[in-house]
Amino acid sequence: MLALEINHLTKSYGKIKAVNDLNLQIESGSIYGLLGPNGSGKTTTLGMILDIIRQDKGSYQWFEGKYGDNHRKKIGAILETPNFYPYLNATENLEIVDRIKGGNRKNYDDLLELVNLLGRKQSKFRTYSLGMKQRLAIAATLLGDPKVLIFDEPTNGLDPQGIAEVRNVITEVASMGNTVILASHILHEVEKICKHVAIIKNGNLMATGLVGSILSDDITVEVGSDDLDHLVTILSNYSLVGQISRKKNWLECSVPSETSVVDLSKHLMSNAILTNHFVSRKRNLEEEFLEITKE
Amino acid sequence: MKIINLLITEWLKFRKNAVVSLLAIMFLVFMPTAIFIGKEFKNVPPPLPNNSIFFEFPSMWSYLGYVGNWLVFFFIGLMVIFMITQEVGYKTMRQNVINGYTRQDFFLAKLSSVIVLCILATLFYAIIGLSIGYYHTSNADLSFAFDNNWAIPRFFLMTLGYCSLGFFIAFIIKRSGIAIMLYLSYVILIELILRWGLHGKMFGLKNKSINFYPANSFEDLMPNPLFKYAEAIPMNDIDFDFLLTYQEATFTSIIYILIFFSLSYFFFLKKDI
Repeated sequence: MLALEINHLTKSYGKIKAVNDLNLQIESGSIYGLLGPNGSGKTTTLGMILDIIRQDKGSYQWFEGKYGDNHRKKIGAILETPNFYPYLNATENLEIVDRIKGGNRKNYDDLLELVNLLGRKQSKFRTYSLGMKQRLAIAATLLGDPKVLIFDEPTNGLDPQGIAEVRNVITEVASMGNTVILASHILHEVEKICKHVAIIKNGNLMATGLVGSILSDDITVEVGSDDLDHLVTILSNYSLVGQISRKKNWLECSVPSETSVVDLSKHLMSNAILTNHFVSRKRNLEEEFLEITKE
Repeated sequence: MKIINLLITEWLKFRKNAVVSLLAIMFLVFMPTAIFIGKEFKNVPPPLPNNSIFFEFPSMWSYLGYVGNWLVFFFIGLMVIFMITQEVGYKTMRQNVINGYTRQDFFLAKLSSVIVLCILATLFYAIIGLSIGYYHTSNADLSFAFDNNWAIPRFFLMTLGYCSLGFFIAFIIKRSGIAIMLYLSYVILIELILRWGLHGKMFGLKNKSINFYPANSFEDLMPNPLFKYAEAIPMNDIDFDFLLTYQEATFTSIIYILIFFSLSYFFFLKKDI
């Protein structure tokens, strides 16, 4: 079953096209990463599918239309910032969210325990740190038996401890079998949690698919020697080597396969290059992302 | 059932809101105390007979109503603006929709809260009015107590009128400070400039259409009772009606209330939140 189907979604702000003819399908149960640099259109896209931003063109459908106008009661979402009534405490705020979702809970301790806020449940929202606010927002997304969870830049503005806490909670939530949509510009966050990914840039969908399929078979090789300029010349003239970039103490280049790494090593030896650094590794999502979104 | 749920949720949202609570308390306190200021005027100028007209049936309905007119315009109107614009400021309006409200649900929650607020303010007016009247009127009976030209329904319509204006401005402007400034300055200043300046110059001051403006219509549902004495004074140079009749004010107010709520609804459905 499809959790979400987006068809030709388009939104402009004046002359700027925030989202351009976006098409996406998200299967139920998948953990989907929406990846893109800041200002790429991720939040606008989420805003449209959550009915707070009106699209100029296109359409979307949740759960194949199963819940009609009440589909958002089956979605738990945080968009940009955690939004609660600052003069109410955690329990009172969760009660309001629960009522909006049509629930009638009497107790929220289990959720507050899950996000490690039980000890502060009587404190007003305005007294919370950003990490605590974010964790309360995650607890709120779990109300009403959600089928889909949406997190938009959930670790923005958090300190390292806060990032780790929020990431742990999301990983735990994702493991419960829900569909999760995670919008982020932090690549290793998406790479660690998501199985599917869509890469958006300037409102355009650049790539979509399994994280594994987005990653190409190219191998990244780091090569260092005493004379990096000479090394650049040697590598540039070797047909198996793709793009080359210069790092502080070595060069980074890509080759098409594992066997090419051996060929490259032989090529360097035959050119009397003595390497002081030689490491080969699979390209990670960050490199792939930069490759896809580069101008 | 759905409206009851929406109302309970609104109550949960604002029962601990300091600004809304303070405005409500001030309305509840000032309404009865303001009328008792009349006790201080032992000798009232003619043509007023004495200060007991402020407290006795049936004239007290007009005086208490006029006090209520100002208090509703200020305290209840601002409550309505705060109940909408604070949801924008806290971004809870968008979060309510993200959490599952349809936009219609959110609008209906606000509209029904406003209507309940108007009913409660009117009930308070009725209770205070009956209490003061019975205490000060000798041999008061029910028919005498309610000989008031439908003052209680007029008070409700006036309250709903001011609230509809505040509601409309809040949904359009969205920011508390600017919305409040616009609401207060429209009623106190802008409409007067439009009427006496623009409209008066275009159609003449004696043209009755000058009175058919929103805030003036709402105000004329509970007008200043002293105006009836002013109208009795012959004025050759300024020969025009001060007030709309109750029927005119009622009809005009209903039209404006429908326009303000409808425009708010269509604006809210159409725009990003």
